[in-house]
Amino acid sequence: MSSSHMGEHGEHEHHEVEGPGYATPQAAIEESERETVAYVIGLYTGTDVDAPDFLAVVDVDPDSGTYGEITERIEMPTKGDELHHFGWNACSSSCHMEGLERRYLVMPGNRSSRITIVDTENRAHPEIVRVIEPEEVHELDLSAPHTVHCPAGGGVMISMLGDADGELPGGFLELNEDLEVEGRWDLPGEIEMNYDFWYQPRHNVMISSEWAAPETYQPGFDMEDVEAGKYGHRLHFWNWGDKTVEQTVDLGEEGLVPLEVRFLHSPEATHGYVNAALSSNIFHFFEDDGEWRAEKVIDFEGRDLEGWDMPVPALPTDILISMDDRYLFGANWLHGEVWMYDISDPANPRHADSISIGGYFGDVREVKGRELTAGPQMVQLSLDGERLYWTTSLYSTWDDQFFPEEKERGSVMLKADVDPRRGTLTLDEDFLVDFGTLPEGPARAHEIRWPDGDCTSDVWQ
Amino acid sequence: MPRVSLEWPDGRRETVGVDPDEPLLDAAERAGIGLPFGCRIGVCGTCTGRAFDGGTRHVEPPRALKGRHLEAGYVLTCIATPEVDCTVEVGTDVRARLFENPWR
Repeated sequence: MSSSHMGEHGEHEHHEVEGPGYATPQAAIEESERETVAYVIGLYTGTDVDAPDFLAVVDVDPDSGTYGEITERIEMPTKGDELHHFGWNACSSSCHMEGLERRYLVMPGNRSSRITIVDTENRAHPEIVRVIEPEEVHELDLSAPHTVHCPAGGGVMISMLGDADGELPGGFLELNEDLEVEGRWDLPGEIEMNYDFWYQPRHNVMISSEWAAPETYQPGFDMEDVEAGKYGHRLHFWNWGDKTVEQTVDLGEEGLVPLEVRFLHSPEATHGYVNAALSSNIFHFFEDDGEWRAEKVIDFEGRDLEGWDMPVPALPTDILISMDDRYLFGANWLHGEVWMYDISDPANPRHADSISIGGYFGDVREVKGRELTAGPQMVQLSLDGERLYWTTSLYSTWDDQFFPEEKERGSVMLKADVDPRRGTLTLDEDFLVDFGTLPEGPARAHEIRWPDGDCTSDVWQ
Repeated sequence: MPRVSLEWPDGRRETVGVDPDEPLLDAAERAGIGLPFGCRIGVCGTCTGRAFDGGTRHVEPPRALKGRHLEAGYVLTCIATPEVDCTVEVGTDVRARLFENPWR
């Protein structure tokens, strides 16, 4: 490790960053430029468009002639991946690792178990440089890759939702610095179900959540599987160094299908949130006298829809925390709502603002003349916290159940302007990226990332 | 070599010959016909078709399908092979019939 960052005022003087990312979350806000390029997952899996999924390069520079357009698509080598979440080879967790760059995107196929590595050295024209084939993943008795994080030092960790047969248990896959398969991170059997994870190195903790076995969630959502206990409702608190689960917290009936694990960005923080999507509640997790606890802090009520059998749940399928740890943002996919809560008192989130858009109940039904065929789903926030973007597809088979038109019309990417001082969200009525008008046919769109880091990848050591 | 007639909901039809124990998906690809698929190991259901009159056998456990789906003739083309000449309805609209919106 270079000594140049060990400033004269003590061991943790972080003014000079030798590696990727930023010295602190506040440095990310101060030093980052406004995003001009977005990398967005586009997919054809589960449609009759006979083409591979792709990484879309979207121009988000308002001064550009192609603002709001998909300027490049990097097609995966094979069809059928269902690209879903993706991540970087390095982030701020390695900010003192000289020679490391945030440069390679690790792109897992959730259905195929194929992992494609994309080099973004040329931001506008990324290139595929490596493909890890499913057989190599199945050899470790793992399948269905999901979340990609890049712990300090250059390797990558990926949560895996199933074993080689698409059953339980899942686990974690590790790639080495060259982004080749290193092995399995965990000992099989520490957990059964898996989904998302986040780690907080200073507290030696990693938290993982639960969706279901691939054989359960991949074909589609079946209430019988919920009744049979095949969907998750637990959070696992791992000893990050020992790779063992030290504590499991059962969220119960109100915590069904806990998905995205979002820790506050401050490396000192011991607070975070998880969205129990099916129960439509947000849980706050925190350390209390050496024990991790989780409490429901936001409860979205189901809503009646005329002629429907049961109240429709909100389905908050994605959440994120602003880089300044001031706001929790999220999207209620079925109801059609994008929201922000003030979390300056973490145990008592306070509703700041919402936009009612798309979904079953949203007030806004079209943007720039484009009819919205689904609700807001995957969210991403600019590093400065002033622009919130989202896409509308959840997962191909689930889209078909809840918003079947998404297959015929494709997804959209939308944007709201955020005033982090006033706590307001305003829909940008002039911003629309339409994934429905591509030459091969309408595509779904899922996760969004910025080349210079974002609120859902960067972790600090 | 059993021959399978592939039928899409929009009326398109193609016929492919399938080698013994060969998955229907592989045979279709060999013939240059693109069918939907995902995991290729019988887990994800993306490739679901429907053999109304039977005639196919799964060479691996069809984990994506429930008992009610199997009884209704749904098959996973990535692991299903025909034993006799038969007809299989294909395309993503077939899979979409497996599960409904439970709140509707």
